[in-house]
Amino acid sequence: MREYMMRATAALLFAAILVPVPAGAGTTAYGSANVNYKILPSVHAQVVPNYAAGFGPQGGFGSGSTPAAGAGAVLNGGTVDFGNVVVGYQYIYKYAAQVSVQTNDSAGFVVYAEGATDLNGSAPVPSPATFPIFHTLYWLASNASNTAFTPAKSFVRTAGNPIGGGALGIDYSGVGGKPAPGSSVWSYAVSGNVSQGFDYQLRLPGSIPTSQFNVYIVYTVIGN
Amino acid sequence: MRNANIAALGALAVLAVLAGLSQADALQSVRATKDEVITVVVTPSPAPIGFLPRAVPPAPRAPAASAIARLLDDPFAGPRQIASSGSAWDVAPGGGTLVAQSSVQPGPVPVQFVAKPDPNSLYLKLIDHTPELDVPYGTTVFPCAFEVYTFYDKATYALNDYGSGTAKSGTGPYPILNFPATSYLSWAAPDFSSTFAAYWNSGAPGEKVWSGAKLQAQQHCIDLTIVVPNAQPAGTYTAVIQYNLLVN
Repeated sequence: MREYMMRATAALLFAAILVPVPAGAGTTAYGSANVNYKILPSVHAQVVPNYAAGFGPQGGFGSGSTPAAGAGAVLNGGTVDFGNVVVGYQYIYKYAAQVSVQTNDSAGFVVYAEGATDLNGSAPVPSPATFPIFHTLYWLASNASNTAFTPAKSFVRTAGNPIGGGALGIDYSGVGGKPAPGSSVWSYAVSGNVSQGFDYQLRLPGSIPTSQFNVYIVYTVIGN
Repeated sequence: MRNANIAALGALAVLAVLAGLSQADALQSVRATKDEVITVVVTPSPAPIGFLPRAVPPAPRAPAASAIARLLDDPFAGPRQIASSGSAWDVAPGGGTLVAQSSVQPGPVPVQFVAKPDPNSLYLKLIDHTPELDVPYGTTVFPCAFEVYTFYDKATYALNDYGSGTAKSGTGPYPILNFPATSYLSWAAPDFSSTFAAYWNSGAPGEKVWSGAKLQAQQHCIDLTIVVPNAQPAGTYTAVIQYNLLVN
């Protein structure tokens, strides 16, 4: 057995000596490498309320009063503040918000906008404390000819979870990670650095209580 | 001569009566105005040209979800050849796989308003029931789309309406086109008549809806019928009807 083992070891050593040395050893070799890489798509966005001179409410035809922007509205910031409006009448808020998007996503992006909540009443607190945003607050792309009666689409209350009452945005993780398709307000099919302005309409039904109402409109931009 | 005098007196009397009636009309002033704003959403809905039922029901297919589950479980099974390199999938199809998308949520826009009471609501109110008409092509009826309330405590009154902003221009936006075109939106007050009439589209003074006696409060439904012609593109439109309470 011992003799057999010694023979086997000797055979292995001989085989090792016979293994050829790599041809490239000690010489310079040239070749090419196929490098694949991906540039991750990125999306950046900003929203500016009251984004142009002339912002503020118009309309209220027949109400006997002329609307004026509230104290919370300032150029390029602040609140979209309709001020005092009369129940049962219609208003438009010019240059309410502008959305700017920068993306390298060649497939473009979609912008969604939803109410973080319904309209929250205060001063005095009505009963119930909220009033539906649906069919009360509308949006349309800004245009100088827009009026309180120009065709527009209604904002809806989100199905997501408002963070900080909406002041910090909306958490969509529990509803599929994105807003409802019906809340799309702007779709752009290529990459770029682009902006879109929006006007808001307020159509106050006769059933809305007299009170101060507040709501946050949350914009979400998602690359395609 | 006497006959001529009698004739002249008669003519004067007729003129006096006509003048009185005319004055009564002229005395009517607008006590309150409200606009009924209705969003019309035309959805694509091509009607089928024909329908031929199958003679034999098709064999039931396996649900797509189970097929996807099998594919995810063993992507190389079966006769299909699926190109891949290294791993089975870069991104596995279906199966609820979440594909990462870049997203961003800039700061929200705060909106505020202070709703003040309507001084005209004592006399004229519009009560919405269907503020948005989601309609296919063809004709759709909306019973009691909204109600109108009227009242006046100092004299008789009348309610009239017309398409807001309409004129005898021959053009205008859907669905209440300008005269002489016919409006695609019609109304009926079933408490008075079930007959639909296209909305008045020549501007003021409009058409009478109903009248009321002094101190008579009344509230009636307005039914709507809307026609979407085949040539009308799908989209969102607005119909605005102006209601005026005229009083003496």
